[in-house]
Amino acid sequence: MDNFQPKIIAFACNWCSYAGADLAGVSRIQYPPTTRVIRVMCSGRVSPMFILEALRGGADGVLVTGCHLGDCHYISGNEKAVHNVEMARSLLGLLGIESQRLRLEWISAAEGARFADIVREFTEQVRELGANPLVAEQKHTVREGATLS
Amino acid sequence: MNYQPIIQRTRAYLCLDCGKCTGSCPLARVDLDYSPRRIVERVIFGEAEAVMADPHLWSCMTCGLCSARCPSNVDFSRFIVEMRAEAFRAGERGIYAHNGILQEVMRIQTMNVHQDRTGWLEDDMQVSEDGEYFYFAGCLPFFEVIFADLEVKALDIARSAVRLLNRAGIAPIVSNAERCCGADLMLAGDVDSFRRLAELNVETIKASGAKKVVFTCAECYNAFKTDYRGYVGQLPFELMHLTELLSEKLGAGKLELEARPGLVTYHDPCRMCRYLKVMDPPRTVLASVPGLELVEMEDNRERAMCCGSTAWVNCSGCSKLIQKEKLHQARETGARVMLTTCPKCQIHLTCASRDLDAEQAVDVVDLTSWVGQALA
Amino acid sequence: MFPSILQSQKQVPRERSTERHSEPVRIGVFVCHCGHNIAGYLDVPALVESARTLPHVVFAHDSLFTCSDAGLAEIRTAIAEHNLNRVVVASCTPRTHEPLFQTACQEGGLNRYLFEFVNIRDQCSWVHMNEGERATQKARDLIRMGVAKAALLEPLEEVELAVQPAAAVIGGGMSGMTAALNLARRGFAVTLLEREPELGGILRHLNTLYPTGAKASELVDRQIAKVRDDPRIEVLISAEVREVRGSIGNYELVVHSKQFGMDLPVQAGVIIIATGAEELKPVGTYGYGSDPRVITQQELEGLLSENSSPLPSANRSAVPAGADAPSPHPTVVMIQCVGARDETHSYCGRTCCLTAMKNAMLLKERNPETEVHVLYRDIEVHGTHFEDYYAKARELGVIFSRYTPEEPPQVVADRVIVYDELLGMRLGIPYDLLVLSTPMVPRPGARQLAQMFKVPVDEYGFFLEAHVKLRPLDFATDGIYLCGSAHWPAHLDEAISQAYGAAARAATILSKEQIRASGVVAHVDEYLCRGCERCADVCEFGAIEFIELERKASPFNLPIQPANRKVAQVNPVMCKGCGACAVVCPTCAMQAAHFSSEQVTAMIQAALGG
Repeated sequence: MDNFQPKIIAFACNWCSYAGADLAGVSRIQYPPTTRVIRVMCSGRVSPMFILEALRGGADGVLVTGCHLGDCHYISGNEKAVHNVEMARSLLGLLGIESQRLRLEWISAAEGARFADIVREFTEQVRELGANPLVAEQKHTVREGATLS
Repeated sequence: MNYQPIIQRTRAYLCLDCGKCTGSCPLARVDLDYSPRRIVERVIFGEAEAVMADPHLWSCMTCGLCSARCPSNVDFSRFIVEMRAEAFRAGERGIYAHNGILQEVMRIQTMNVHQDRTGWLEDDMQVSEDGEYFYFAGCLPFFEVIFADLEVKALDIARSAVRLLNRAGIAPIVSNAERCCGADLMLAGDVDSFRRLAELNVETIKASGAKKVVFTCAECYNAFKTDYRGYVGQLPFELMHLTELLSEKLGAGKLELEARPGLVTYHDPCRMCRYLKVMDPPRTVLASVPGLELVEMEDNRERAMCCGSTAWVNCSGCSKLIQKEKLHQARETGARVMLTTCPKCQIHLTCASRDLDAEQAVDVVDLTSWVGQALA
Repeated sequence: MFPSILQSQKQVPRERSTERHSEPVRIGVFVCHCGHNIAGYLDVPALVESARTLPHVVFAHDSLFTCSDAGLAEIRTAIAEHNLNRVVVASCTPRTHEPLFQTACQEGGLNRYLFEFVNIRDQCSWVHMNEGERATQKARDLIRMGVAKAALLEPLEEVELAVQPAAAVIGGGMSGMTAALNLARRGFAVTLLEREPELGGILRHLNTLYPTGAKASELVDRQIAKVRDDPRIEVLISAEVREVRGSIGNYELVVHSKQFGMDLPVQAGVIIIATGAEELKPVGTYGYGSDPRVITQQELEGLLSENSSPLPSANRSAVPAGADAPSPHPTVVMIQCVGARDETHSYCGRTCCLTAMKNAMLLKERNPETEVHVLYRDIEVHGTHFEDYYAKARELGVIFSRYTPEEPPQVVADRVIVYDELLGMRLGIPYDLLVLSTPMVPRPGARQLAQMFKVPVDEYGFFLEAHVKLRPLDFATDGIYLCGSAHWPAHLDEAISQAYGAAARAATILSKEQIRASGVVAHVDEYLCRGCERCADVCEFGAIEFIELERKASPFNLPIQPANRKVAQVNPVMCKGCGACAVVCPTCAMQAAHFSSEQVTAMIQAALGG
């Protein structure tokens, strides 16, 4: 497990969490290089499809970040993010993909340290869960590895 | 690329250019730039690449009304689906509705999943680990989540199905290893995913020992009955729609249904009426519900109008015009409730009905749910 | 993409992904050293090498400081020499430097939106200083993601609109007039609309003002005179807004004038809503509406300003047995929080405590013999002046008795019965005048006005600002501002301050000749649109409207039902580009430019190994 480096797709909103991530940089706060950040204008842009696509593509974890509730640059975009992430979570539950692989966090433009902490924490959490099960046994053909439960 | 095999398999070369297909097509009626016969002609005359690059390739609903009317019996739906498979291989895609969430869910099921999709079962329901009957619920648990705002109550279909089966003395097998039937992926050109889903489903059902598979979804039923054998060979089990099983039991006096008075109409899904020719069993079931009066729409049975959207691809303003026409036909019967035997038809028509005012709106409900709710 | 099968009123340019463009995509990638900041921690030459292998990349280069003059010149030169039509810069952060590189691209002949920024400093080299190859690998992935998105970027238009250097102020009370005067003084034309036949608003109904005791009529008459004298302000009285069209910079109102008996068009670049509020009339409570001795504070002010004795002649014949002995002095009882802080209006009316004190003191000054009782739940006198005011009222002998909402005062025969918590006994106060202090409530028509302007109201019907702390005078909808009691019951000084503020906000727009909309807005595909309105339901900015498209006639004149179809239309000036509409659109008709589903999906796939 030691050399398993999780790959995390992180969505960050232009006004708050992406700025928070930049602040971590300006402050030279170090954190593991496990995230691949995709900038969006608002966390509300992150549709459930993006989340499932990331996991289907092999991401070990998906982190959705945005402004704190009440502070959204677009008024209620982050509330929409809550709804979208919940829908994604329900679908993941049906598909048997661990709920802890998906995380929603509010990070303000002033919270560089918090961004780093969350990346650190989430990386460890995903590391413990292990590699994305969807792709882990992809090498088996259907006839060999069909699981009946 | 040689398109002759597709042309041969679908008898497209017999096209007489008579235009009956375009004249019958519900999409052509609202989209004056869409013409089934023109698509066929273009491929025959060597313009297949242009057809594959044309977004209209993905708009056909494969409702089959054109083929039903075609004097040369050209299988246009199959033609379109095979062209789509070619286009898909070339990197073309239809426009995935709902941001592609349905396709994601379907494709993830081709992978190493350990699903938890039977949570809809309730304590009063009898299911078993083995037995003769396998209830194939399909994507209902996913529809329940994705279309929560439409309040179609997708899982009520599954619950009613099991209760009705129990009533008829059957404790079906219900499995977490079930996958999406894959029809919507095949119809959108993704035949490789379809193959994998077909293989996985057949393995699961074989391993369960079931000899009869019961469906509540016309699309799933049709996928298994019509398309699976081309990919996985003859199926070692029987297939039936729940209404077929119920009407048999009703006929044999082995089942009685509770009263549910009301005036309803019935929408024949394309897969039921034109593909599988299963039109009487749903009507038999409805006729056996005391107090229920069924009134037919102007275009019913083989003529039934398509619900307007297929495969979660290329849903558009034109789809809505088709749906409005359908809902209008339903209202003309005097009924305010339209029953159907395909959860997707229910979702599409409910979506369109949502935007109508109270005068024109129709309640679209699944037949199994409707009948099942009448159980004490 | 789809041929426009329906005749639209406006042709919306629709471009497919770049593979179908007339020219193949040619991407140039510029990897920045940023001195030591990036190059000290990442293998920049390796990044350039791997960039060269990516699809559509025809040029890749590194520079010491891409943001320097030399670096920018390099970009411009490369665009020309290598015929680039997309540019990717991998360096610091778009939040500081995106506009700079976009401008460089523009100067090189490219639309500025054909540029993509990859953050390999603030979010890579600076935070992974000791990760060596793993940090470089992350940068490699990020560049691959940026290139994947760049390949799908479309040129975007920045709509420019001329700003109408005029304002429309709705409401001719003190805040409306103050805002109008302030804007006029800045040199802008103002149309001031007032629904009533006279300007002045609530101040016309007031006697004196707290805490100074100034005459309301003097203040308001002075303001009205200034307004009438100002040649830049056009006043329309007995005028109501019937319709609103347009958006920031170009509003067009249709105003119905009862004065002229016709509809008048009013053009404005900005709107200020200053429609105020009115006093709640608590019909049926404490006998208000049936007993002439029961009045509201505003009605009391009317009596006080007429200089007549506000007290009807005392009629003390009926004395309930066993009750307190009737007072020989005229008695006024004021009940606070009538219709406020209860189930109907749960808020505090803010101005009523001070109003009660003001009128109580006036009554005492006119006739010191008068007994004035103020029955209160809590006293709201925040700040310095107002505390002193309260102290003065007590000094003058106004009697304050506290009641609890569980045991509100009751009127029985000619007395007000109240349980005084402090004294622990029930008081029976005979009254000659019972004055009810009620809160301000929104004016009738406020909700309709809100709907017309597409601005929100709160649960009480007061207009809702964009952000309670950060944007208290703005609406989320651009170009419309708010001041005075229309927002929340306000003291006069607050109403005036807010008016200055709203005028200043409005002036930031009016002082520009043109405003530019960002190109990052939503676009609608009219073929795919079902007119379901889910997009408009989630748009906080009122940027989406619906238009009717006419269907092409059938060549054979067949009756095709239904005849017309409605589709969404995005106003690029109002749209803020958040993309919430794109998420809820069931058919992907609504796409978020520059952050489309296709682009984001390509980034996800590129991140995971492409």
